[in-house]
Amino acid sequence: MTIQRVKPGDFTKTPIEKTDDPDFGTDMIPKERYTSHDFMQKEWDRLWTKIWNWGCASQDIEEPGDYIVTSLGKEEILLTRQPDGTARGFYNVCQHRGNRLMMGQGNATTFRCNYHHWEYKLSGEFENIPDIDSFPQGKPPCGGLTEVRVEEWNGFVFFSLDPDGESFDDFIHPLKEHLGPYHFERMVKVTDWTVEWECNWKTSVDAFNESYHVQGIHPELLYFIEDKHLQIDTYEKHNRYLIPFATISHRVNETTEIPHLIKHAMKEAGMDPADFDGRVSEIRGALQKHKRENGAEMGIDYSDLNDEQLTDDYHYMIFPNITMNTHAEDLMLFRQRPHETDPDKMYFDVQMFKLFKKDEEPPKRKPRNERFKHGERSMGLVIDQDAANLPGVQRGMHSAAFDGLWLGDQELRIRHFHKVLMDYVGED
Amino acid sequence: MDLGLKGMKAAVTGGSRGIGKSIATLLAEEGCDVSICARGEEAIAATRAEIEGHGVRSFGAALQGRDGDSVRQWTRDTCESFGGLDLLVCSLSAGGGTNEERYWYRSFEIDLMSATRAVEEAYPHLKKSDNASILIISSMAAAETFVSPMAYNSMKAALVTWSKQLAEQYAPKGIRVNCLQPGPTMFPGSNWEMIKVARSRTYSGVLRQQPTRRMAEAEEIARSAVFLASPAAQWVTGATLRVDGGYTKGVQF
Repeated sequence: MTIQRVKPGDFTKTPIEKTDDPDFGTDMIPKERYTSHDFMQKEWDRLWTKIWNWGCASQDIEEPGDYIVTSLGKEEILLTRQPDGTARGFYNVCQHRGNRLMMGQGNATTFRCNYHHWEYKLSGEFENIPDIDSFPQGKPPCGGLTEVRVEEWNGFVFFSLDPDGESFDDFIHPLKEHLGPYHFERMVKVTDWTVEWECNWKTSVDAFNESYHVQGIHPELLYFIEDKHLQIDTYEKHNRYLIPFATISHRVNETTEIPHLIKHAMKEAGMDPADFDGRVSEIRGALQKHKRENGAEMGIDYSDLNDEQLTDDYHYMIFPNITMNTHAEDLMLFRQRPHETDPDKMYFDVQMFKLFKKDEEPPKRKPRNERFKHGERSMGLVIDQDAANLPGVQRGMHSAAFDGLWLGDQELRIRHFHKVLMDYVGED
Repeated sequence: MDLGLKGMKAAVTGGSRGIGKSIATLLAEEGCDVSICARGEEAIAATRAEIEGHGVRSFGAALQGRDGDSVRQWTRDTCESFGGLDLLVCSLSAGGGTNEERYWYRSFEIDLMSATRAVEEAYPHLKKSDNASILIISSMAAAETFVSPMAYNSMKAALVTWSKQLAEQYAPKGIRVNCLQPGPTMFPGSNWEMIKVARSRTYSGVLRQQPTRRMAEAEEIARSAVFLASPAAQWVTGATLRVDGGYTKGVQF
């Protein structure tokens, strides 16, 4: 069964050209990158503090005074909306005794430390220090909070801890052109979870950078996606694969009954599976056509997306730790954050964004970040399957009988990721 | 035992896959000319090649099961192509669906009406046959609550009642009518093959109730079907035969 793909000359704004597969060789990836405290420290010094990090969604800090605290390793960053509409970010630490300044998210007119009520303006400068005359040396000469660089793009806020690092435009290239057509800024956040996982942050990144594991971990997806014959593209730092949805894998036989996940996708678009007389392998094309013809009526603007973007998953990784499952009507974004001290642990953030149809009511309240440990609650079958598997991968990395990752062509994105990682970290 | 099928002319609705295909090819193996209809051109071509591999004639047309005119046309074309008809097997099915309204119409058209339409068109030809029989493929799901409320089970139940009435009406005309109720059946490309992977809990729930702990193979169903349709079952009419490996628990007196 051949999957119909968008061809050169067809309408598209997101580039569809296949990049030449880089030759990164076939060397084993040393496991110590996943287990060693030493490597973890190098990552902190040479990667996390140098790159642009995804901080929050723009809608998290919509109004002036809105703020959100995000953490990265041992650092916490306070991201906030200014009265002039720009976003700014600061280390979330009081200059008095080092206390954490703010927690969670909310709206403030000033940032006031709980400990001794040292108070800062939204712009970070000191607003008020109680009993300032009891400090013979005066205010700290820094003038207030320590600022970090912040850039906003396509509905997201990024920050960099490196005052002299590369520009955001250079860092994100070429994804502005790729992801702009999805208009994430039109989508509404509906889910915000943080889960502590018992694995290295890269163990998780890897799990989403290949679809080779679908037949092992997610067999039911064989009746919803083509897991092997897909396009992998690698760019300077970032990479992607284009994975056909609303179809069945070449690994399984076509059935007469429409698999339930495909039925669900049809119903979501207002197509009744009971009235579809074609074959299962013909649904993807029919669904693309249906959405193209009925989008406006449903109140969804598909005009910047090509046909296969209407059904498929254009799956991007923003180096080093953002996994984006981009779909025409939603975005499932995973952020993989390193633990403060332990290479065997990480924080897995799930943020889901959704376009609402004309007749759908968006939630009245913004979702608040919910934190839990793996196993305490379900995140849906597919993520649960990955989550259940990853601690075993991390444990195995410590085995004397395992030396490193033995990667195949379907795992090219993992190899590319390690190439870019080592461009930053420099040495094992 | 000789089934007496050699030289007979048979038509099987939905004969390109699964149980229908097994019945069609087994009839060919027994020496019948066989005609099939289904959705997929390729599957029809492949099955026709298999049929003809047994040294008999084949006929086939791609059609949508809920397109009544096409079903009628295929039946008439089959009789014309073969110069008559002895056996009609109605095996076409929409499969399970959901309990939603449009699925009721879909099952009604494909499972029930495709059978009534084919029978109506075949009747004048069957009447002329010396050994005519009609076999309606229902399902064990008609006889026992199975999976969930949906049109499939109810339409399969309707077929049982209808086939019994047909049997009585057609007996004086020399046409036997019987009904077969297969249990869960596994074959490449079957819906159960998909359910096993895509809805593994539903699958294992069904398998737990199967005393043999496996589903039928299509050939196992086909052998019972071909017997019932054949002249060897000459004194059997109005019967409903359940072939389910012991799945159903009710006792039939």
